[in-house]
Amino acid sequence: MTNTYILGIESSCDETSVSIVRNGYDEIATVVLSQMDTHANYGGVVPEIASRMHVESITIVIEECLKKAHMTMDEIDAIAVTYGPGLIGCLLIGTTFASTLSYIYNKPLIPVHHIAGHIYANNIGKQLKFPLIALVVSGGHTELVFMKEDYSFKIIGGTLDDAVGEAYDKVARVLNLPYPGGPLVDKLSYEGIDTYSLPLPLDDNSYNFSFSGIKSAVINTSHNLKQRGEELNKANMACSFQNRVVEILTKKTLRALKEYDVHNLIVAGGVAANSGLRDSLKEMCIKNNIELSIPEIKYCTDNATMIAAAGYYAKKIGKQADIDLKAKANDELN
Amino acid sequence: MRCLFIDTSSFFINIAITYNNTIIYHKYTKIERDMSSLIIPIIKEGFDSVSFDIKNLDKIFIVNGPGSFTGVRVGVTVAKTIAWSLNIPLIPISSLEVIASTNSGKKYHVGLIDARRGNVFAGVYDKKLNVIKEDRFINFNELDINDDYELIGEGYKESNPDILKVINKHINDEDINPHVLKPNYLKLTEAEEKLNDKRNN
Repeated sequence: MTNTYILGIESSCDETSVSIVRNGYDEIATVVLSQMDTHANYGGVVPEIASRMHVESITIVIEECLKKAHMTMDEIDAIAVTYGPGLIGCLLIGTTFASTLSYIYNKPLIPVHHIAGHIYANNIGKQLKFPLIALVVSGGHTELVFMKEDYSFKIIGGTLDDAVGEAYDKVARVLNLPYPGGPLVDKLSYEGIDTYSLPLPLDDNSYNFSFSGIKSAVINTSHNLKQRGEELNKANMACSFQNRVVEILTKKTLRALKEYDVHNLIVAGGVAANSGLRDSLKEMCIKNNIELSIPEIKYCTDNATMIAAAGYYAKKIGKQADIDLKAKANDELN
Repeated sequence: MRCLFIDTSSFFINIAITYNNTIIYHKYTKIERDMSSLIIPIIKEGFDSVSFDIKNLDKIFIVNGPGSFTGVRVGVTVAKTIAWSLNIPLIPISSLEVIASTNSGKKYHVGLIDARRGNVFAGVYDKKLNVIKEDRFINFNELDINDDYELIGEGYKESNPDILKVINKHINDEDINPHVLKPNYLKLTEAEEKLNDKRNN
């Protein structure tokens, strides 16, 4: 079999990343430049600053990646790039960069949906087993996806309001935790007990999620305690919040696995790094004889390795873009 | 000498390919949106229409601001990527100087770009494109001008850049490493300004 080398490019939010992956699963080299420390000064990602930083680092990141791989652009078979969804000003640095490279080096340009990338983070160093259910959880997404085969996505449910990671970050703010607060809520939850009565979010028969209600419940509880002059037990609140979120995610995921008669579950996105969620899903999968795949932490957050991996399979089914590729802030996974 | 000139700092895209001091391809057109997806097709159209390949390019002149933040970023990204890929010299040029290269009978040319709320980006140049007053972000009313000055830009004398004049002025400039090339926004982001205010108080 001849080898196929895909160069992946990711710039949809606050990470500038370039990676080279062989045959869709074998990581050759990756460079990720995170802007997190800068955005921490502002309590969240500032889109204009993020765009500015992508421009400043993009050629440095690719050069570093090629050096690490001991490869030249001539050895690359195709260029895969995140075209959306994400911050538009950030995405278009990646698409412009990729289109320019595609033109100069005369290489095919493969558009990759960011969520397809997160899913294919589970294809690095191993390969997806089908059919599968993917639980995609991040700062911008909460989705259940059914996959019959490679690069076939059927969204069976999604969030109606806040994404789960977004809810975590907002709750972190109520608990006065520094940015990015999600991982700190996770950590803190292990120091507390489940004492606060919070609702189980959108506990219905759909595969949809809603986290704005529980977020408001956290805010209201904290506010009411303050008015009564009582102290909020932050660890207990983190624990109560996390328990409820993890419970509903696990519950609906299990139901999807059963209804679709699927025995493979993959987890994707930044919140896949959440230990509470990892533990709960592990337990559920053991009980129900389901094979669980969760990426290594470094592949949970945004990176170009997953984009290059997904790009390989996108290319296989004939997805290709012209050099007039447009970045899209919002776009359905299909 | 084969040169590529790129200016995407406004709602106009201005791209030229020159060969030994002659413009052999020129596109100057208004782009309302999607500059990022239109620029490479335009550059490709340019090289498809001339007798040499982009890989034979000797030098790139990139207008790196001030102006439309997104526009400048798109141009800078393309220029630095080409310069890095082909390992050729890259020379940054001010958008205000490009505007000021417009022909006029007056002694001084003021390149102007609207920067909202009564503010402008302004740079003052003489006829030979020597800098008289550095590019800056300023309230329009604070511009110190008289009859010797021609205001050029949207709402004033129409900008009609003399690309060859600009290229010739900078043909022997020291080039910049593509990794180091940045847009020249002349203005911090609002978030940075607020953070600075907070830290200074």
